Amino acid sequence: MNLKFRLRQAGMIAKLELRRVFLAKRSLWVYLLALFPAVVFLGHGIDVKLDQQRWAGRVTPAAVLDSIERGDSEDEVIRRAGDPVSKRRYRRGRDSRGSTFSYFDGQRRVDVRIEDGLVASKNVRAHVNFEEDRQVFAGFFHYFYLRLAIFFGCLGIFMNLFRGEMMGKTLHFWFLAPVRRDVLLAGKYMAGLAAAVTIFTTGALLSFAAMLWPQDPAAVQAYWQQQGPSHLFWYGASSALACLGYGSVFLAAGLLVRNPIIPAVVLSFWEGINGFLPAMLQKLSVLYYVESLTPVPAPIGADAPVLARMLLAPAAPVSAATAVAGLLGVTVLVLWMASRRIGRLEINYSTE
Amino acid sequence: MGEGIVFDEVSKFYGEVLGVNRVSLHIPPGITSMVGPNGSGKTTLMNLMTGLIHPDRGSISVCGLSPRNPESLMRILGYATQYDAAPRGATGFDFVSAGLLLYGYSAEETRRRAWQALERVSLTEAAGRKVAGYSKGMRQRVRLAQAIAHDPEVLVLDEPLNGLDPLVRAETIAMFREFAARGRHVILSSHVLQEVDVISDQVILIANGMIIAEGQIRNVRDEIEEHPSQFMIRCRDASRLASLLFDMEHVAEVKLHEDRQGMLVLTRNRREFSLALTRLASSGSPVESVMAADENVDALYEYLIGGGR
Repeated sequence: MNLKFRLRQAGMIAKLELRRVFLAKRSLWVYLLALFPAVVFLGHGIDVKLDQQRWAGRVTPAAVLDSIERGDSEDEVIRRAGDPVSKRRYRRGRDSRGSTFSYFDGQRRVDVRIEDGLVASKNVRAHVNFEEDRQVFAGFFHYFYLRLAIFFGCLGIFMNLFRGEMMGKTLHFWFLAPVRRDVLLAGKYMAGLAAAVTIFTTGALLSFAAMLWPQDPAAVQAYWQQQGPSHLFWYGASSALACLGYGSVFLAAGLLVRNPIIPAVVLSFWEGINGFLPAMLQKLSVLYYVESLTPVPAPIGADAPVLARMLLAPAAPVSAATAVAGLLGVTVLVLWMASRRIGRLEINYSTE
Repeated sequence: MGEGIVFDEVSKFYGEVLGVNRVSLHIPPGITSMVGPNGSGKTTLMNLMTGLIHPDRGSISVCGLSPRNPESLMRILGYATQYDAAPRGATGFDFVSAGLLLYGYSAEETRRRAWQALERVSLTEAAGRKVAGYSKGMRQRVRLAQAIAHDPEVLVLDEPLNGLDPLVRAETIAMFREFAARGRHVILSSHVLQEVDVISDQVILIANGMIIAEGQIRNVRDEIEEHPSQFMIRCRDASRLASLLFDMEHVAEVKLHEDRQGMLVLTRNRREFSLALTRLASSGSPVESVMAADENVDALYEYLIGGGR
């Protein structure tokens, strides 16, 4: 039995496991987690496109909108700019009434707030703000996709590779095959990784595409000629590498504990306090390396609570090469520990 | 492969619960049945020899191989457990062939062996159906097919005859015999003592995690001195023969049959009894047949383990 044969066995195990990992009923929520950002950005895109279609025939020249100033009367505004594309009335207090007129110049949306018949303020913003949307995407990616979707998705996929079979009383099928336990571990990890990377990288790329869809084509083209391809690559790569790291951790956890809540709580706490840890311990984290690879840093609003700012603040980033090497190192270390554990693992269904 | 299966002072505990305690065994080729009450340690012994669990103390060797080395061991060993292992949605054929692929057989060889194994357990017609839809007996057979598909030297079977209809049961027993006749090990556990009696070359009696007795049924019976041996004798003049036998010192009890054509004799010395009966027969007492009444697993179980089966 040489290395080539063992690799073939690992590949065979991965092939046999893939269908189970991809098509398991309990994987449905993993797909939902992965596709949620894409659905959100797609919804936003559809909303923007519908607005553009609805307002296309009611464009007000930009110069007219620029000429509206504070103190202008409501009648004057309507006389110059015409009927707004939308008009919302509101009431403030007992006596004060107001309304907001929204105009569209083809690219910008201008909201004119009128109180007591006079223009009180004017808010001009791009109807589709590419820069803002990219920041929103970065926030989604850091706070939802990496910390929740991939984290819990990997928990669902990788912990079940062994624990699920133990619960289903089917693990002995593998233990009774002429396969070394570490080869079995490698095969199952490969299956989980293939599924997780496919699901979450696709999810990340679809969200990215959905974010770009409603943007101004000229702005998108300019973006593609600058950082666009690099951003796309690193969003995809950091998703894949997060699956690699979290996958190894949850695979090992599935060999150690029966209750998935325990590793989820412990690891999310560990990842959460990563920014406070000494430099040496910071390196024993998946998020530490993955956040260094993301192309846009995690945005934190200045008005966020202090505790949230402390917990969400990432550790000082490292270079891409260091991050990839560090993540691979953590993964190999965890898989090595898991291979030691699986060698001693016993099947005792009656106590499960 | 001549070393057989050897347990050397093996103990296994599940936390504080005893699995098996200081078991030393040597299982030669042939059909060996493990007999004992529920929870006595039969499955623990099987799981230990197949490496599904590891001993806390002692060592095990299966034909010279360690159960901690599945890569080598599972090439010569097949184990049909009590549990289904088929992945959801897998057909009988998928299940058997999936296991074979890991042996490194080519696709064609895998297919050939899978069909052959399914044929041996009479499951070819249902091979394309999902295992989830199989009856209990069919599941039992597909597990058996998976265990024999790679033609192992050692076949370990946990309650293999459960749920099988009489015809398949007979075919399965014939298959075990054929395996054993080729000098291989067939180790099984069963609750059906009559069946064990018929099938086994040797038995292992287990209770409370300890080996009570092991070996060929007759040899085990011979070692039980506190229970007199029982013989059924059929003869024409049973009353006369009974009175002659009853006078002998080694005869503990004689029970005449209602038809006065036979009797049950309990003796403390089989050899003396055998010589005496030969003498009586040659001196004109018409003995038609003599049969040991307690050289079976049922009796051994009763004597050594007692009730609570």
